[in-house]
Amino acid sequence: MMNRREALSRVAILTGGAVLGAEAFLSGCKTNSKGISLSKDDVAFLDEVAETIIPKTATPGAKDAKVGEFMKIMVNDCYETKDQTIFIEGIKKLDEASKKLNSKGFMESTPEQRKALLVSLDKEAKEYQKAAKPEDPKHYFTMFKQLTLSGFFTSEVGATKALRYVAVPGKFVGSYPYKKGDKAWATS
Amino acid sequence: MAEQQYDAIVVGSGISGGWAAKELTEKGLKVLMLERGRNIEHIKDYVNANKEAWDHPHRGGRTQQMIQDYPVLKRDYPLNETNLDYWCVDKESPYTETKRFDWFRGYHVGGRSLMWGRQSYRWSDLDFEANGKEGVGVDWPVRYKDIAPWYDYVEKFAGISGNRDGLAVLPDGQFLPPMDLTCVEKDVAERIKKEFKGERHLIIGRTANITVPHGGRPGCQFRNKCWLGCPFGGYFSTQSSTLPAAMATGNLTLRPWSIVTEIKYDKDKKRATGVTVLDAETNKTIEYKAKIIFVNASTLNSTWILMNSATDVWEGGLGSSSNALGKNLMDHHLGIGAGGLVEGYEDQYTFGRRANGFYIPRFRNVGNDKRDYLRGFGYQGGGTRQGWQHEVAEFSIGAEFKEALTEPGVWTIGMGGFGEMLPDPTNKVTLDKTVKDKWGLNVLNIDCELKENEHKMRKDILADAQEMLEKAGVKNVQAHEGDGTPGRGIHEMGTARMGKDPKTSVLNGNNQVWDAPNVFVTDGAFMASASCVNPSLTYMAFTARAVDFAVSELKKGNL
Repeated sequence: MMNRREALSRVAILTGGAVLGAEAFLSGCKTNSKGISLSKDDVAFLDEVAETIIPKTATPGAKDAKVGEFMKIMVNDCYETKDQTIFIEGIKKLDEASKKLNSKGFMESTPEQRKALLVSLDKEAKEYQKAAKPEDPKHYFTMFKQLTLSGFFTSEVGATKALRYVAVPGKFVGSYPYKKGDKAWATS
Repeated sequence: MAEQQYDAIVVGSGISGGWAAKELTEKGLKVLMLERGRNIEHIKDYVNANKEAWDHPHRGGRTQQMIQDYPVLKRDYPLNETNLDYWCVDKESPYTETKRFDWFRGYHVGGRSLMWGRQSYRWSDLDFEANGKEGVGVDWPVRYKDIAPWYDYVEKFAGISGNRDGLAVLPDGQFLPPMDLTCVEKDVAERIKKEFKGERHLIIGRTANITVPHGGRPGCQFRNKCWLGCPFGGYFSTQSSTLPAAMATGNLTLRPWSIVTEIKYDKDKKRATGVTVLDAETNKTIEYKAKIIFVNASTLNSTWILMNSATDVWEGGLGSSSNALGKNLMDHHLGIGAGGLVEGYEDQYTFGRRANGFYIPRFRNVGNDKRDYLRGFGYQGGGTRQGWQHEVAEFSIGAEFKEALTEPGVWTIGMGGFGEMLPDPTNKVTLDKTVKDKWGLNVLNIDCELKENEHKMRKDILADAQEMLEKAGVKNVQAHEGDGTPGRGIHEMGTARMGKDPKTSVLNGNNQVWDAPNVFVTDGAFMASASCVNPSLTYMAFTARAVDFAVSELKKGNL
């Protein structure tokens, strides 16, 4: 059963400690949740965070892929209790950081202000994760970003519109022409 | 108590059981195939085969509930949302571990033939002669010339794609057209050949995926969803291949939900007379009689059945007079290798999803190469271009970040070793009568670990992977090293080995139980050593050979 095995170990090598969406997805979320409650407002908030990370452009964005709802499902079903707590507190922390940087809450901020905030939080999270030991708690923004990327690129619009996907390729070509700008294949 | 008579009974419906049923029925015998789990019908019951990632609520991942429900399966990649119902429910069928052994099982019609890795390699005499030459375990009673025609036979039917590479260590077979290596794999293959003076080879994997229509099956569509069950019959499984052939004879009766608890033994005639079945749904006991019994319940379960049979004659069960039953459990040790980045090839990509990778056949302890351990290892891997999961240095948030992720990243290559594990009598299974399964049956205890030879070999697996990739020009080569917990190879072998002497082996060279000549064991239990190549093709070949022998013996009146 080599392909899956090798694919997993290869991703592990290449991602290392990097903040990448696939990581939680592939390592399969160690969990022990008692169930959490994320409100409609929370989901709407997460949708806006995700949309700031992966906005709609010529192709659909995170909101089109319902990434907020995806995060709710994943945090509920797949996260350990301690990570659920970090995630939920992260919603508040992000909003507080917004007030500090932009003098208003995240939902009230302009797209530019939102982006500036998340750029700074991403930097903070990367620095934190770099110094952290494996057993240390994750930064909440790392969680938000990972779930955004995995949620978006494994969604139907993400895979078929932002990326390329052929359900039944019918053949394999090991050297296939590529030119800059061609989309990556969604491998699902 | 109902009683029914067949010419032959096959216990188990996985790769080897399916082959036994096909061969026996095609030779005209009325056959009962018993499967402990539910039925899975080809295509119809592959319920997730056409689902995409987004059709799964957790996109194929695992939930906390699954982790709680599957204490064994959770230990590695098999626990996932997409084919959960193809894996045995751990809690219904527990086992005990003196030392950790990850046992991943498929209890349903087709067994692990539905989820197997499909890599299909022949053994060579390097493998068959090793035990005898080195004085390890017992000498194989079989050599390559004995089994080669049977490899031909099973390959032609199963459909194995591969390239004729002309390597002594990995004999060529009856191949369907090979799959393509990627441009980066071809590059690395050339460099390895040059750097190691033609003594090491990177070749396309030989796999039981059919690259052209074969045996009425349309063929592989390169979806890489094999382990969901393939609606195109793109790979060999019981359902796609041997079961329809057996059914077509009109001679097969398939009975799911049938746990074989015992082989009935007539001590006067020194023959088995049939089996006892516990109906897994009704808990009723049924006996079936037959002239020949093929035991293909999967390595450890076949041994479990033997241990529970003829205990009035031998306390340790049928085959225990050898003092070898349950001993010499082997797997392939893996979880160790290296990977890195390949520069260039920016104008190249791939099309389709290849359910296969490359293979680097064994080169250690071959020819003049001599190491401080015995045997060797091969590598399996792939060289592919990164998808959306690549790093983006310049951007972290927003439209530019998104656009960068929607383009492929750099080319990467990675590989992991599959190492041979020596037979060792202290690696063993025994009956644990203190624990019962859902049906009140005693369970197995597994006591198995990697020994010194494997640990020494792992140093080479790691160092050689790094060295080869670096010499091939791969950048940023990083090693990865797991603990090699046995079981994870999902290649359980041994515990009812074949040999030349009934005092030291359970089976003779025809897979025949020395103490019951009408009982044949042809799944991984018969293996006297492990080689380093994936074992299923070898089970197929030995099964077809054993059936041929069994039926000719039956006709001669010897059984």
